[in-house]
Amino acid sequence: MSESIEHKTMGIQGANTDASDLPHELKDTITLTTLDKAIDFLSTYVVPLAPIAKWARSNSVWPLTFGTSCCAIEMMSVGMSAFDISRFGSEVFRATPRQADLIITAGTITRKMAPALITLYEQLPEPKYVIAMGACTVTGGMFNDSYSVVQGVDRIIPVDVYLPGCPPRPEGILDALLKLQQKIRTESLIMQRKRAYNQRAVRYVDYDTGKPIDAVKDLVQQAKLELESN
Amino acid sequence: MSETPASPSPANPEKAAPPTELPVGPYGQFLSEHGIPSKRLPDSTGVETIEVEPAQLEVTLKRLRNSEEIALDYLVAVSGVDNTDTFDSVYHLWSYSDPNKELVVKVRIPKASVAAEQLPEVPSVTPFWSAANWHERESYDLVGIRYVGHPYLRRILNPWDWEGYPLRRDYKQPVDSLNDKNPHSFR
Repeated sequence: MSESIEHKTMGIQGANTDASDLPHELKDTITLTTLDKAIDFLSTYVVPLAPIAKWARSNSVWPLTFGTSCCAIEMMSVGMSAFDISRFGSEVFRATPRQADLIITAGTITRKMAPALITLYEQLPEPKYVIAMGACTVTGGMFNDSYSVVQGVDRIIPVDVYLPGCPPRPEGILDALLKLQQKIRTESLIMQRKRAYNQRAVRYVDYDTGKPIDAVKDLVQQAKLELESN
Repeated sequence: MSETPASPSPANPEKAAPPTELPVGPYGQFLSEHGIPSKRLPDSTGVETIEVEPAQLEVTLKRLRNSEEIALDYLVAVSGVDNTDTFDSVYHLWSYSDPNKELVVKVRIPKASVAAEQLPEVPSVTPFWSAANWHERESYDLVGIRYVGHPYLRRILNPWDWEGYPLRRDYKQPVDSLNDKNPHSFR
């Protein structure tokens, strides 16, 4: 499987996206595997094959090994024999985002961690999915209104399934996975396009400073004005 | 953390005394014998708490660590406190040889003595007690106490370009897209 993965730069082709707006490193990280490209082609143009492609895709969702606090213990537990996530085809926890389809954000996301999480998310090959696991990543949880915690991971990356709990039971993770599989199987072409567009627009936190992109934009604008006035 | 209450003895004579007339404890007695002035502070857990001047801090800690009879040779924690009128730097000491020995040393900087846009300054103990290294960085990061003489005083928990000191009483975090839940909250 890993040999068939090609990292190819896909130009930004969204109808509403202007490729020149996006930074270079973002263009480089949007990748599609050959297999995924084939599945995309089949499910788009060969209509009878689309359900088969979606069935295959939904039963091989590979999660990324990503855990930042106690939710990760439940995520490990769901991979063990008692709960056995491999019944649903997701036992392959990948250690690199290049080989994964899904991020389960298991644990609190701090402002310091936010740029790293966005980097990981952008390195996932498409199609990519996110399960926001635990109260901290759904709404901020018990760190409500805290100075250091991102108040819900959907402020950084688009989320497909919200899984509340502190932490959720392993059965909850299985349920979220089944919900995600259902979503993959039943998603219409328009919704797929819409989701892909949202995923490309992710850039709310600046890599270098870790600050929200709006603030950095203001800083850049200010610096430009100062330069011009000088 | 290490501030486990002492034995659950119901009677605590130090606690009953009025805070202005606290008797000098054994460690304060030891320090005054060696010419180091200290002031007894009220405590809630029965652990002797003394205050020393910032200039006397290094002498105090070295004396307590190196003396054979006291031997408070374990620096448990260095923490910073933002009180209403002072910035405190608190040193928790413990002894390997006698686990019942405990002492809390405080250095208090009045807020009135700190100039505007300046940080309160406390001499660093890292040069002779390297356990304090990351503790002092954390205290600098969150409370904003500048430890003079620290070899590498930079933020340790927050991102390097964080503005302000989050655990200060007057800290107000600007509302941004990562947290705009409640603009009128305490932040």
